[in-house]
Order: sequence, then structure tokens, then C-alpha cells
Amino acid sequence: MVTYEHPQLDALGDGTRRAILARLLDGPLPVGELAREFPVSRPAISQHLRVLKDARLVTDRADGTRRVYTLNPDAFESLREYFDQFWNHALAAFKRRVETPSPRASGKKSTAASAKTDQPRTRRR
Amino acid sequence: MDTTTQPTVAAVRKSITVQADPQRAFDVFTAEFDMWWPRSHHIGKSPMKKAIVEGRAGGRLYSEQVDGTDCDWGTVLVWEPPHRFVWAWQISAQWQFEPDLAKASEVEVRFTAVPGGTRVDLEHRHLERHGMDAAAIRTAIDSPNGWGTLLDMYAAEAERRRA
Repeated sequence: MVTYEHPQLDALGDGTRRAILARLLDGPLPVGELAREFPVSRPAISQHLRVLKDARLVTDRADGTRRVYTLNPDAFESLREYFDQFWNHALAAFKRRVETPSPRASGKKSTAASAKTDQPRTRRR
Repeated sequence: MDTTTQPTVAAVRKSITVQADPQRAFDVFTAEFDMWWPRSHHIGKSPMKKAIVEGRAGGRLYSEQVDGTDCDWGTVLVWEPPHRFVWAWQISAQWQFEPDLAKASEVEVRFTAVPGGTRVDLEHRHLERHGMDAAAIRTAIDSPNGWGTLLDMYAAEAERRRA
């Protein structure tokens, strides 16, 4: 559950900041270009970007004299977190299978994957 | 308007040690894939009957569904039994088969003999290739938690602005 102290929720609680993030979904942009696209002053844009940066939703880097803002991929860990959990689960199942004595394990060493047997999955006892 | 740098996502890395030699570990991972792969993980339209790895470079990873269809979801990129197996994870963030390998992530699995068994090192990399667009963000995190809600909000905002 999200609490209202959540800095990211606070950062997202503003329409302009949400719109800036939405704009950055298309790719990194320098602050000047963002300022041109939004009907607010450049200092106001900079202030919004600072809030987003403090909330770790965006990162910035220098590009010559410009400062370029990018969505922070770490804020979008969801896909990575999904796989992180998924592989914990899948590899645990793999380990159980490897370490379960298999009726077919003795004497049979096939390296090619075979789809030829359609026998039901063996049940673990 | 194309951008200078694509954000990257750190690879997911896992290591486990199993009590079996590399050959058996490799065989179970591939030939017996169906015996351990989580049954819920397929992208077919009906329940999965069997998950299959074709054991050769260029082979398919696919599932047979109970409705009689086959459902591709990966391609074998490196096949070096019993030490190394790499495949392209061709499932888009919209849970569809992704034919374009440039938009697929990769999973590498290495099998190394260690005292008492085999160390299995898995790396799932290039996750950023699955895209960071609004739809990807929205569907990748459709869990009913805070992040999902936040990102929903802003994916909705993105779509509103694009409309």
C-alpha cells in the first residue's frame, strides 16, 4: 500500500510533473526543450524536475551546456523485479527436479531435448 | 524523434548449486524443461500441455496447448551441452510472441562442475529491449500494488497526451 508520505506519490501529485514524465516516456530531453513544450516558465520546469529527481523518477546528465533528463530506469524496476521473483521460483523448481531421483535417469543421457515422450509428469512422492 | 541513449535495465542474475553433474543438470534444464517449468508461464490462449526446448542452435522454445495449438516464445541462440545454453526470451511486455530478436531479452545459463554438484548461473539480460513505452509499463506491472497504481496513473496521462 502506498502511503501519502511516499515521495514518488508526492512527485506525481502534480499534473505538470505527470505530464513531464509522460513526455519523457518518448525519450530523454534537455530542460530547454521541455520548457518550450510546457506553458510554464523555465525556472518552474527546473523546479518540477528537481522534485522528480529527488523522488528518483528521473535522472539528469550534462550534455555540453545542456542538461538532459531521462526517466530513471530504476524507477521502472517492475519488469526486472518480476523476473527476479520469477527466476527464484523457477530455479527452485528446477533444483527440486534435478535432485529428484528420476526413473529415466539411469543409463539415459540424451543431450538433445526430446519431445517424443508424452508420458504424464512424474509425481513427486 | 530518436533519442541518444536507451535506458538500460540491470540484468537479473541467479546462481544455485544442484546435486547432480553438469550433464544431468543441463539435460533437466532443457530436455526435461516441461518437468519443472512453472505451469502458469506460457502465452497460449488455452492451458499449457507441454513446454518444449528444441535442443539445437536456432531451435524453438514453445509450448503445446490443450487446444492443439503450438505457441512459440523463444529461440535457442547458443547450444553448448552440457555447459552453456542461451535463448532469446521473445515475450513482449504485452504478453505476445515477439518475432523481432532485437526486441527480445536473452537468458544465458551456465553449468559448472563444483565439488558435490553443479553450479548453475543464470543471467536474464537486455530487459530494456522489451520497451519502456506506456503500454509496456502498464502491462508489465499490473499488480495491484502502489507502484502499479502510480504507473497506471502516468501511463494514462501519457495516453491522454498522445490522443
